[in-house]
Amino acid sequence: MKSAPLSLDALQAAVQQLPESALTTSRHAALEHFREHGLPTIRDEDWKYSDLAPVVDISNRWLADAATSSPSAAAAAAITTICNSIEADWLVIFGGQVDAKCFDGFDQTGVSVSRLSDAAENISFDAPLSDLNLALLQDGLRIHVPKDMQPTTPIGILVVDEAIASPGMSQSRIEVELDAGSTATIIEYHASVGSADQYTNSVTNLRLGANARADYVRIQDRGLVHIHTSRLAVHCERDSVFNHSGFDLGGSFVRNDIVVDLAQAGTCATFDGLYLIGDKQHIDNHTRVDHRVGPAESHQEYRGILAGKSRGIWNGKAIVHPGADGTDAEQANHNLLLSDNAEIDAKPELEIYADDVKCSHGTTVGQLDETALFYLRTRGLSKREAQQVLTTAFAQSIVSKAHSDAVRDFLEQKVAQRLGEMMQGAVS
Amino acid sequence: MLQINELKASIGGTEILRGLSLAVNAGEVHAIMGPNGSGKSTLAQVIAGHADYEVSAGTVQFEGKDLLELEPEERAREGIFLGFQYPVEIPGVNNAYLLKAAVNAKRKHQGVPEIDAFEFLKLAKEKMAVLGMDPKFLNRGVNEGFSGGEKKRNEILQMAMLEPRLAILDETDSGLDIDALRAVAEGVNALRSPDRAIVLVTHYQRLLDYVEPDYVHVLSEGRIARSGDKTLALELEEKGYDWVREATAG
Repeated sequence: MKSAPLSLDALQAAVQQLPESALTTSRHAALEHFREHGLPTIRDEDWKYSDLAPVVDISNRWLADAATSSPSAAAAAAITTICNSIEADWLVIFGGQVDAKCFDGFDQTGVSVSRLSDAAENISFDAPLSDLNLALLQDGLRIHVPKDMQPTTPIGILVVDEAIASPGMSQSRIEVELDAGSTATIIEYHASVGSADQYTNSVTNLRLGANARADYVRIQDRGLVHIHTSRLAVHCERDSVFNHSGFDLGGSFVRNDIVVDLAQAGTCATFDGLYLIGDKQHIDNHTRVDHRVGPAESHQEYRGILAGKSRGIWNGKAIVHPGADGTDAEQANHNLLLSDNAEIDAKPELEIYADDVKCSHGTTVGQLDETALFYLRTRGLSKREAQQVLTTAFAQSIVSKAHSDAVRDFLEQKVAQRLGEMMQGAVS
Repeated sequence: MLQINELKASIGGTEILRGLSLAVNAGEVHAIMGPNGSGKSTLAQVIAGHADYEVSAGTVQFEGKDLLELEPEERAREGIFLGFQYPVEIPGVNNAYLLKAAVNAKRKHQGVPEIDAFEFLKLAKEKMAVLGMDPKFLNRGVNEGFSGGEKKRNEILQMAMLEPRLAILDETDSGLDIDALRAVAEGVNALRSPDRAIVLVTHYQRLLDYVEPDYVHVLSEGRIARSGDKTLALELEEKGYDWVREATAG
């Protein structure tokens, strides 16, 4: 049975109802783009494992009955807990609305933060879900790190949603610009509370000037019944460095796209990710790196642990464009399946149109090492403890590579906790 | 302490142990020798509780308890230690973490408070000094990138920390140079006590020069073909395993 398409009339009505702001013109342009292109379907190669039917369903229900609310006590507590757990200067987006109170406390000297509803130049929407994001965007954040600035405290962006009684849907958009020679640590944290259906669509654009460096950590810890799609597009200019670590801990249906454009020579992108997928979860990570010129390097390692009846997808694409000699592109994806009902589709893709390149990829799918399990048990660890020790060690190799001291300890605990939940009765 | 009666065990449908009986008492050191394929390692694995081995007949009692009913970790907490012939490398799991978790699993079982970090470190460093191990090994992944000798010392370190009632050392002497062999032997001898038993599974007489056994058993085709005192090991060294096989056949 084919599900109903997203209702364009309801979408248009919702766009028209949004308050007038600097975003208005862009929203209508994005709406037109969406009208023309729609949502990707499983007939699109990049989307064949992730049917957006749940997204369409919840969007239609939300469009029919859009409700906004301010954070409940539970959501407010969640926000406080996260902000206090990781040392960073936090900016908060709740239910798609930028919390302007954070701007006062935002004491990054020299880093400027503004709302997209005040000034909305150069906002792109030419990608799947990105047009929908902009069409329905209430507000977003622009973060600008001026030339040679090196803020010592990480910049935290916390995106929180809540769905208590009625279905919720929200858009978040973050535009980050690091000017030449600047360095910043950025933590993008997604969380949600409530047991009603919820869908959040997040778009982040990051622009790195010459010699700039971004240490980027993305933590997706949505409620286990909530839907999440995200797109992180990175543009790297000469000799800039992009370090990314992504962690998927929650969400019922999750799709993340990372698109890295190595536009100039001397750039280096390292993107790692860890996905923990428990029973009834579907998490899809698609990455794409474009080597447009050489020399430049990209290294990526994604690891996944799957338990219960779960589904994971990793698709890593590296495109070496004509003339991009001196490219060094490396991809690795390792998966640990803790149950017979877990399924992973892992696909590395290399498209090479240059001659002088060094490219490699490797993918593994396996179970816990029985010999190691027995060894640990003969030392007195229970079967459950031994399984947890081994899975944690498997995950730890990604956690330890996160380029921010502020999050490593936090993530270590968070990952151990989530693994404990996932393995509760889920491992034979 | 350990009573094995008419034990039969197989792996993948092949019977390895064919009615083995053995009694080990507290305070004793037993050496189990025998040619390759005679069932030495199988015996060690069955006592430790490896799930791949199927016990079809016979009994194994440890301090009056039916050992075959217990999970591997329960056997460990009751005081059985198996030193592996091939210690497993576990990247990402800190050596100190495992040692501490192992000590605490046992303490918890005994109803004793868990060891604190300071006490643990002090104890571990003491034991490591006896074995000639650099304390740096504590912060490495379990056996990760260790040489053969380092792995075996690490097994003895675990044993020394756990202070088992019954230690079974499976070919702990294989692949060791003379210094490592001496260090390992010293570790084993340090553990000899009237309330503890040690079973050395070995192919060669070499280790027995350093750790003197009270009893020597020769395994052949899944049974104990011959038992004696330490002179049996010397006789074997001289006459070879064929001598036992012929004697048994005859």
